[in-house]
Amino acid sequence: MFQDRRIGLALVLPATLFLLAGFVLPVLVLLSGSLQGPGGWSFDAYVRFFAVPLHQEVFWRTVRLGVLVTLTCAVVGYAAAFAIVNTAPSARGKLIGLLILPLMISPVARTYAWIVILGRTGLVNQALQGLGLADGPVRLLFTETAVFIGLVQLFLPLMVLTLVSALENLPADVMSAARVLGAGWIQTFVRVVLPLTREGLVIGGTLVFTGAVTAYITPAVLGGSRVLMLETLLYQRVSVAGDIVSGSVIAAILVVMSYTTNVLLRRIAAGRGR
Amino acid sequence: MIRLPWMRIGGWATLALVLLFLIGPFAVIIGAALNAGTVPAFPPQGISLRWVVAVFEVQSFRASFFLSVWLAVGSTLAALVLGVPVAYALARYPVPGKEAVRAVVTAPVVVPGIIVGLALLRHAVVPLGVPVMEALFLAHTALLLPYAVRVVAASLENLRPDIEEAAVMLGATRLGAFLRVVLPNIRNGILAAFILGFVTSFNQVPVSLFLTGPGVSTLPIDMLAYMEFTYDPSVAALSALLALMSLAVVLVAERLLGISRFV
Amino acid sequence: MTDGFLALSGLTLAYGGTVAVDRLDLAMAEGELVALLGPSGCGKTTTMRAVAGLLQPRAGTIRLAGRDITHVPANKRGVGLVFQSYALFPHLSVFENVAFGLRLAGTGRDEIGRRVAEVLAMVGLTGFERRLPKELSGGQQQRVALARSVVVRPRLLLLDEPLSNLDARLRLEMRSELRRLQRELGVTMVYVTHDQAEALALADRIVVMREGRIEQEGPPETVYTRPRTAFVARFMGFETCLAVNGGRLVAPDGRSLPLEGAADAPALAWRPHGVVLGRGPHTARVLGRSYLGQSVEYLLETDAGPVKAEAAADAPRFEPGTTVAFDLPLAAAARLESAA
Ligand SMILES: Nc1ncnc2c1ncn2[C@@H]1O[C@H](COP(=O)(O)OP(=O)(O)OP(=O)(O)O)[C@@H](O)[C@H]1O
Ligand SMILES: [Mg+2]
Repeated sequence: MFQDRRIGLALVLPATLFLLAGFVLPVLVLLSGSLQGPGGWSFDAYVRFFAVPLHQEVFWRTVRLGVLVTLTCAVVGYAAAFAIVNTAPSARGKLIGLLILPLMISPVARTYAWIVILGRTGLVNQALQGLGLADGPVRLLFTETAVFIGLVQLFLPLMVLTLVSALENLPADVMSAARVLGAGWIQTFVRVVLPLTREGLVIGGTLVFTGAVTAYITPAVLGGSRVLMLETLLYQRVSVAGDIVSGSVIAAILVVMSYTTNVLLRRIAAGRGR
Repeated sequence: MIRLPWMRIGGWATLALVLLFLIGPFAVIIGAALNAGTVPAFPPQGISLRWVVAVFEVQSFRASFFLSVWLAVGSTLAALVLGVPVAYALARYPVPGKEAVRAVVTAPVVVPGIIVGLALLRHAVVPLGVPVMEALFLAHTALLLPYAVRVVAASLENLRPDIEEAAVMLGATRLGAFLRVVLPNIRNGILAAFILGFVTSFNQVPVSLFLTGPGVSTLPIDMLAYMEFTYDPSVAALSALLALMSLAVVLVAERLLGISRFV
Repeated sequence: MTDGFLALSGLTLAYGGTVAVDRLDLAMAEGELVALLGPSGCGKTTTMRAVAGLLQPRAGTIRLAGRDITHVPANKRGVGLVFQSYALFPHLSVFENVAFGLRLAGTGRDEIGRRVAEVLAMVGLTGFERRLPKELSGGQQQRVALARSVVVRPRLLLLDEPLSNLDARLRLEMRSELRRLQRELGVTMVYVTHDQAEALALADRIVVMREGRIEQEGPPETVYTRPRTAFVARFMGFETCLAVNGGRLVAPDGRSLPLEGAADAPALAWRPHGVVLGRGPHTARVLGRSYLGQSVEYLLETDAGPVKAEAAADAPRFEPGTTVAFDLPLAAAARLESAA
């Protein structure tokens, strides 16, 4: 009954055409703009973009924050996921609900909380001064640390959730078996758990890294114009300076980063898993 | 699994810290929202609802809230109308160029939202005169389509194709079989896709960044703009209200469909 | 073969590049019950799906009641199909599953209630109306699937191993219910089964399929007693099939036994109980013995390879490992047209 290719085609056509015309085409035109030089195709725009020290700084900061946030989420994620998997199933459902909740809340609201916590008169500064650890307000907002904290809070749930489902799929006895065979906890983790949950780690890692690298709200609110990341720089170049060329260069960099992370990590997961 | 007492305690401690880090800030927001003073502060300096009331008096918040709601409902519905047939066709029919279709349909996932907004502004709104509102709607629909396809595909996976054949053998048309035996069985998946789509669109910032202008602004964009110039607890109050709204959505969705399966 | 109530001619069915059914011809009279028999993967389900209209043939035609229905959509053929996999609607109760076709046909409420109750009584599921399919056992689901197809009174009913999941007693009961139903409604049926006993008991005619073709067809008794090929013979319980060549009985691997007497067929076949044990011109080693209740089955290693023999339970026993005399009497042999 399901043999007719024409029906298959008719069903996918509207969405495919919609996305080709309304999404793929405009994005490609925008990206191709970054490769246009005075005399045809060239990397001119890229050379000129990276010639600005600020742009280099923003590029490396974005990569650095992406990597740090991903590593932090992975380490904390494993610890939290182990703890969750070890609870009774009924509690597990509630804990997972608690992890999903922040994902559903507006990132603007989530980021705004850190202003109240890290601001000049915020919770942390009150505590520091109350304990006599600082004389005046310490500057916490508009630092890379603030952006880092905001990003970890934003993306940690994604990592924990993927690791929980990876750990749930672990054969129940492998950890005990490894322990019985005399492996230490660290050895068990490195030799047994890590290889068996690699796929989950890679999926979670991809989500976190691409999410962090392409974040807008967190650097905009917690970094301001002092701690720019690629997306905030893009917005600034385009809407403040009207510099479309730099905009399309950043756009291309972001797409390439996001795409290669997806492809690369997927290959790692597929190629060396199991 | 072998569990030692110290691991157990360590596990609970880790979990408590992680949850404090993830959920704690919302307690702070709610505290700040109930602040009686004129700057957002936690712990609050006296309890009052004045800033919560104030939120409803800000004209632009009201307008952008309704715009965001309509945008979220409209683009989610559009994404489902376009996406459900794709998920269904990919699950049931031979589709010419299947991999290409898959690639196009998942493309919005790998393209950061801000770029979609910029591309549409530069190559649709400006040269073709597409109204900003339409462009916004288009961008949100494109963004949500991959998720709609994926969530619906996941629920189709558990449904055997032979029940549609059985329906046809009993006299149903293809469409009738879809409506009578497929739709009721993937209803939860579609509802989950709707809720996730709504939340994603409603909270979306980067896609909308370049596509808002005078008179056309979404709530989160408005909040960002307001925060830039004003430092009073009304954004805290609004954030708290949004957090409570999300909490309600999650609770209802979990009760209704166990939405955690679809995230 | 173009006349008859149902006529398949030159029917070729394929999945992509693999041909599952190859130029099949079959004609059936109205009210006839044909059993389609054959090993797994021979194309039984595929043939049924084509007749049902769920699979478009690569070549050939299907005629029903004098009309070419090759290109008629499945929902307009008036053909019922009981799926091998049941294919019950998971979100509908037993009652609604059965009522599904009637509702589509716009049958009135009272009549739906009456007919559903009637057919559920027939399959022994009265009282299960409100259950969901997942709350039923495999056999109960199978009976709902049967009831659902029968209740709309199709002109032609295709049943794909409809009783395979039932226990022996229920199966016998359902078998006779089906037969009664078929007589009462005069519905034409194609009945797919692996079970030769079921085919023999139910069918007016048996069609044995092999690799997408019809190997032999005929009345049950003919197919049972006079298989034409070794393939059909094995299906009908002739476990030992040997070619006749130069006065010897030759196994496929070339080993042979002398043939006592002259045979006028290219191959001969014996059922286990046709093999005589304890006397005869040949000897064999007993490889194994199994007790079957009424009889005892022996596996012999002979000069022409393994041979299955059956003796009455009260006959003297032979121990595994010993040597025993045996005979392959011509009188008990089926004469085959082909050793393949
Ligand atoms: N959807 C399909 N795609 C490709 N090949 C198929 C498909 N369905 C069946 N086949 C092949 O067609 C041949 C006939 O299959 P069919 O299902 O008709 O066998 P069957 O006689 O019903 O077997 P069984 O007794 O096991 O149900 C087999 O070789 C099978 O592998
Ligand atoms: Mg079959």
